[in-house]
Amino acid sequence: MNQQLTAASLALALGAALTVAASPALAADKMADKEKCFGVALKGKNDCAAGPGTTCAGTSKIDYQGNSWSLVPKGTCQKTASPTSPTGFGQLAAFKEKKA
Amino acid sequence: MSAQAAFAAALVDPALPCPPGLLAWNGSDPARRFAVYRNNVVVSLIDALADGFPVVQALVGDQFFRAMARRYVVDRPPASAVMAEYGDDFADFIAGFAPAAGLPYLADLARLERCRVTACHAADAAAIDPAQLAAALADPATLPDLRLALHPALRVLASDYAIVALWAAHQGVGALAEVHPGRPESALVLRYGLDVEVIGITAAAAAFVASLAAGYCLGQAMAAAGAHEAAFDPTAILATLIAKGAVCTVCTASARHPQGEHHD
Repeated sequence: MNQQLTAASLALALGAALTVAASPALAADKMADKEKCFGVALKGKNDCAAGPGTTCAGTSKIDYQGNSWSLVPKGTCQKTASPTSPTGFGQLAAFKEKKA
Repeated sequence: MSAQAAFAAALVDPALPCPPGLLAWNGSDPARRFAVYRNNVVVSLIDALADGFPVVQALVGDQFFRAMARRYVVDRPPASAVMAEYGDDFADFIAGFAPAAGLPYLADLARLERCRVTACHAADAAAIDPAQLAAALADPATLPDLRLALHPALRVLASDYAIVALWAAHQGVGALAEVHPGRPESALVLRYGLDVEVIGITAAAAAFVASLAAGYCLGQAMAAAGAHEAAFDPTAILATLIAKGAVCTVCTASARHPQGEHHD
């Protein structure tokens, strides 16, 4: 296939793919009604992300670790108590723990 | 051999004697205590493999699986303290394991299950804003030079066997009796949300994705797919990659951006 023909078929395909991907059937976002909440997981109970040297889920070292998150229903994170959080509640981004 | 190496070797091989110089806290026979410890080590490693390869285990049965896993544990004890990494070369071991030769698809099925584990533990990455891809359409001539950086959890596996159907039948999708194991299938493994998904794709689409994953641009990926299917249409596979959040960044080959770097 020559370059021009490839460009044309890629343009068609990418355009169609974007339309298909945006259709409700495929676009149902699994994370839509959830949010990542940092600082609310107990030790070893995080869903994912806990700093360098760890391999994700279940690796947080302390209760309410500021860089580990749990998936929680949307809107509830900043209402969940977190003794290590400077705001006193879970946060939507990683934070540095204060002494509980 | 150092004392530590001798201890480690004896741990997985019952034919070796109890390492010298061991003492039991209560004065009992160290050889007996060591045998208990050895058994716990080997059984826990077999259990770890069983956790990571449930479909392989279901296909050959518990007894066969545990015997095969035991041999693997003895031949290839863990090189890392991270148990999630144990079993990286279990599929290669199965491919050379003579008693399993009657099930030629077993090794590829193990590869698929391994892909699922490594996909589960791969790094997070944000999906691209589709508007960025739409913007690339403004100048179609540049499309063949476009590079798509794919999600770190994405894996692609082409097989001569029906690995997707065999795997799906063990998840309650389709009947195992109706699967023709000798039918070639390719699998796309990705993490969407927190779930690892296995998606059956064509051999041409697998070549397309593998090419993109290796850092080639769209035009080269089209050529790779074209070798399998002359009139390859990338619409379906591109839609899947975009919808499942597997495309993370995009840049043109001519712009001197290292792969993976954000480019507006």
